[in-house]
Amino acid sequence: MSAPSWRPRASLEAQRARAERLQRVRAFFAARGVLELDPPLLQPGANLDPGVQPFAVQPAGSGGEVRFLPTSPEHALKRAVAAYRCDVWALSPAFRAGERGRWHAEEFRMLEWYRLGWDERRLAAETLELLAELTGWEATRGEWLTWREAWQRAGLDPAAIGDGEGLTRDERLDLLYAERVEPLLGRGRWTVISEFPPERAAQARLRPDRDGRPTAARFEIYREGLELANGYHECTDAAELAARQQRELALHPGCQIDAVFHAMLAEGLPACAGVAVGFDRALALALGRPALAEVLW
Amino acid sequence: MTSIPIADVSKGTKLLIDGQPWLVLEVNFVKPGKGNAFYKCRVKNLITGNVLDKTFRGGEKVETADVTDVEVTFLYSDANGFVFMNQKDYEQVTVPARVVGDDKDFLLENMECALTLWNGEPIQVRLPNTVTMEIEYTEPAVKGDTQSRVMKPARMKGTGVTIQVPIFCGIGDKVQINTETREFRGRAEK
Repeated sequence: MSAPSWRPRASLEAQRARAERLQRVRAFFAARGVLELDPPLLQPGANLDPGVQPFAVQPAGSGGEVRFLPTSPEHALKRAVAAYRCDVWALSPAFRAGERGRWHAEEFRMLEWYRLGWDERRLAAETLELLAELTGWEATRGEWLTWREAWQRAGLDPAAIGDGEGLTRDERLDLLYAERVEPLLGRGRWTVISEFPPERAAQARLRPDRDGRPTAARFEIYREGLELANGYHECTDAAELAARQQRELALHPGCQIDAVFHAMLAEGLPACAGVAVGFDRALALALGRPALAEVLW
Repeated sequence: MTSIPIADVSKGTKLLIDGQPWLVLEVNFVKPGKGNAFYKCRVKNLITGNVLDKTFRGGEKVETADVTDVEVTFLYSDANGFVFMNQKDYEQVTVPARVVGDDKDFLLENMECALTLWNGEPIQVRLPNTVTMEIEYTEPAVKGDTQSRVMKPARMKGTGVTIQVPIFCGIGDKVQINTETREFRGRAEK
């Protein structure tokens, strides 16, 4: 057996760029009066998001209480929003089991922030400014598409897609979206996707669209085919959120509900919008690196 | 039979798919931010050489194929096939002619090769990329013209395979041959 490669994959130049961009992010939020926080990493319960598998951790040796690593700092930051009633941000480690690929890693940094009283459109506009700060690409060079319009760009109608090829409808939608739709988004400019279908709401609130159909107040921002940001006008309905979490719990074996987070929701999350940015992805894109590993570690 | 999570599959993993052994050439992780994960694998059938793309769901379990590579030395051929010796334990392995295929044309005694075993049975012989062979017969050499692109057939000693060589080559010359393309690569050092 040869010795394991101990050198970080990221070059010294990439590490310097990372440190410098982090300073820009700090200045960005300081100028806007958003408070930097350092959320804890051992959670009493799991983040339960569709298709995202958390890590469960235990004391080494004799076992003991299982805790969960955050898949994003969402639980801690929302608790902070509810407790302090102020805007908060964090660049925090996030862990997602099994996500290993060119643009995925099991451990990465999530840049997440919350704005009290904002909706998702206002936050999407601010996210573009943050991304512009990170990458140096103009915030104003962007386009806004609904989720349905994004599919149309690929010549596909999501309503016409059923199950098949051994996959459920939901799985086929995800595979087609990743393979056919995403590569067309954000080419030479920012693409903001909004108005997601209700079944893809995740933590977003629902509201009627122009035609009166329920739609999720969620957005995503793409650049060069890569998803860089995912934001919501947050759902604050504790019962609705609990129901969504129970549905997801069934799909996350070995996980448990974060009771502390739900205690906060039951008391009331104030109206707010929140967004998570893949800091490493944005950095890799800005530096013209062909894979996440080259800017991570 | 061993099952592993699809997340543990990487380039070089050997999988059992529909009862056949496949080598994973490439893995691509595909996933929208919050949605189902997929692994798109490019796989090569270790018996037929067919290459295709397979999509696996995240969280799926896959079966690995018991495929191992061993270093062997070619000894001789007989009516049962081609006999190799495992360089580790000196055991002899007989490989059927259909597995060796056209590679028999370059198999010389004492040549070191890699042998792929599936459930202990030989399924593939991999020759060195280049072999050195001696010309047993060819038309007389054209002297002096060492830059020529003009080729002529030459029969090789040992296996009798005919290879196109430049006209400056003569009987008894040792030449290097690419076993993949079956083409002349150069004259070997004397």
